[in-house]
Amino acid sequence: MVDVPALFATLVAGVGIGAIYALVAMGFSLIYKVTGVLNFAQGQLALVGAYFVAIFAAPSIIWFVPAGVLPTLGGVVALVATILVGVLLGVLLERAIFRFFIGEPVLSVIIVTLALGGIFSGFIQFLVGPNFRAYPEAILPNWSVPLPFGTEIGGPFAIGVVLSLVVVIALMVFFRYTVTGSILRAASSDQQAAMALGVSIERTIIIAWTLSITITAIGGILLAMANGGAGFAIETTGIIILVAVVFGGLDSVPGAFLGAIVVGLLRELGRFYVEDFVGAGFAEILPLIFLLFIIVVKPYGLFGTERIERI
Amino acid sequence: MPCGEYFTDYGSRMGLFRWRTQRIALVFGLPIPFLLPFVIGGGTLNLFAQIYIFAIAVLGLNVILGYAGEIVLAQGAFMAIGAYSTSRMLGTGAGLLPAMIVGGIIAAGVSVAFGLPAVRVKGFYIAISTLALQFIAEWFFLNDKAAFIHGGVQQTVPVDVGLLGSFIRISSRTDIYFLALISMLVFALLSLNFSRTGIGRSFRAVHENDLAAAVLGINVFRNKLLAFAIGGFMIGFSGGLYAVLIGFLDPSFFTIELTLQHYVMLLFGGLGRVWGALLGVAMVAILLDNLQEFFNTYAPDATSLIPVIFGAIIIVVLAVEPKGVLAALGQLKEYLRKWPYAY
Repeated sequence: MVDVPALFATLVAGVGIGAIYALVAMGFSLIYKVTGVLNFAQGQLALVGAYFVAIFAAPSIIWFVPAGVLPTLGGVVALVATILVGVLLGVLLERAIFRFFIGEPVLSVIIVTLALGGIFSGFIQFLVGPNFRAYPEAILPNWSVPLPFGTEIGGPFAIGVVLSLVVVIALMVFFRYTVTGSILRAASSDQQAAMALGVSIERTIIIAWTLSITITAIGGILLAMANGGAGFAIETTGIIILVAVVFGGLDSVPGAFLGAIVVGLLRELGRFYVEDFVGAGFAEILPLIFLLFIIVVKPYGLFGTERIERI
Repeated sequence: MPCGEYFTDYGSRMGLFRWRTQRIALVFGLPIPFLLPFVIGGGTLNLFAQIYIFAIAVLGLNVILGYAGEIVLAQGAFMAIGAYSTSRMLGTGAGLLPAMIVGGIIAAGVSVAFGLPAVRVKGFYIAISTLALQFIAEWFFLNDKAAFIHGGVQQTVPVDVGLLGSFIRISSRTDIYFLALISMLVFALLSLNFSRTGIGRSFRAVHENDLAAAVLGINVFRNKLLAFAIGGFMIGFSGGLYAVLIGFLDPSFFTIELTLQHYVMLLFGGLGRVWGALLGVAMVAILLDNLQEFFNTYAPDATSLIPVIFGAIIIVVLAVEPKGVLAALGQLKEYLRKWPYAY
């Protein structure tokens, strides 16, 4: 017999974690949609978000900063400061790196983002060491929302569900009804034509990167909150996110949202039903097997644009 | 007018060694690595053996990435498969060479299986499917429940093994050095010649423009799979050698960082060129070794900066000279040849 409350609890957990993944996944597909860059450093960007909250909340965890030199920022201020770091990082990445790779082959861009991933995680490790860094109690949402069958959904997951829904709707509205959104769409469909009509490609790229990194950083912060603090395990989110965006269709923001929910569900179901037979850690592997299946059966995903090739 | 030696027939144009300078360099250069063990020893010898082993793996990557143009992000996984299979085969007493060949064949099989999506998609999708393989392999080799297949998460590889059955004992560091050197020379010669054969040329056609290649009657899918098989075999083989060199197996040797290192080596040297790959491996491996030593002595807290430095090298190389050091050297040579004119 199916144990209904247990199944329901697993599904709720899956949707919860999927919603947080959705934030990171939407960051990925947003940047791909507008600039055509496949960002393999997405997991590391989430990591940067997670660790910067820890750093702002307690700067003395940086090994060369003595205690008391830098001010400790309280709860919300640390979150806002991290989001500002995300915005700055977006501008910096565009100015310093991705500007040189406009129109370069996909191989170069993929390898550059992989290298960026190495740079981010190496630098964070240099700053704070490879250990888990607990968040201060003041930031952690320690409440939970009760649901039927005696289950409940934890604070970070509840925030994730609400926030990711808000973000996906906001992005859809933004792309469809605002002038900036139309400019981004124009730039993504044909860069040269858009430039000829007076669109500043550089500005669209900066907007896309800052939006993307901000959303991703928020996703990373929520992932860290769900664990009580920042850890390097967040890096592996990167590959799980790829599953979500491939399933949803690479350049579709709502597709990334749906895909992430499906991946979250798969992961939790795998953890609950399969892991005992196959061995620990299989929950993270199940989405990857699903990914191979999608690539062979439906490579352009649910809502992706199919490429028609001509010579 | 530029002057110099000119080719008078096609045979000499396509020769492996085309200039007299190259032949002289071969005669004087080739004995050097064979004489090295009598001059240096210990850690440096190990470093050189490691360079030869990584050179095989990077040449394998060069076949897939440089010749056929498919992005493979599973160097760690292929090397791990080769290493663990070799270790398993050594347990049966078949000898080192058959063990490494079996390891290579298994890696080639897995490589082909994960290259199968190439029938419908290309580029980015192959990159993710092989990245997925990397994570699946890491999980698999860390999983105790799969020990009946891989034979245990951590293993020691015997230090005294026969090359074929129990003949030709490989027991000392110097033996392993010579084994690595000879294997590297064989694979380097094979890949040098390989790029001049019909298959090598069809790989390049697929790399340049797969649609045009298909129109010209090249079976694109079969060529891609063939590239995966050959490259996977070489990477798996080098994984087996690596297992013998370090004498101990742990999944942490075969992570995504290894993939990134091999990419730095290949891109730094020059993508698609055998000499570039060899040059890149040697330079980057020596740089890595010195960096590690430097950080360990002067700043133990900063060892995690190594991936940062590597990432920076990749980005700068791709932005400044995407064809690598070898192309830069070629430009230097042209400049000197034309000197004092600029054209």
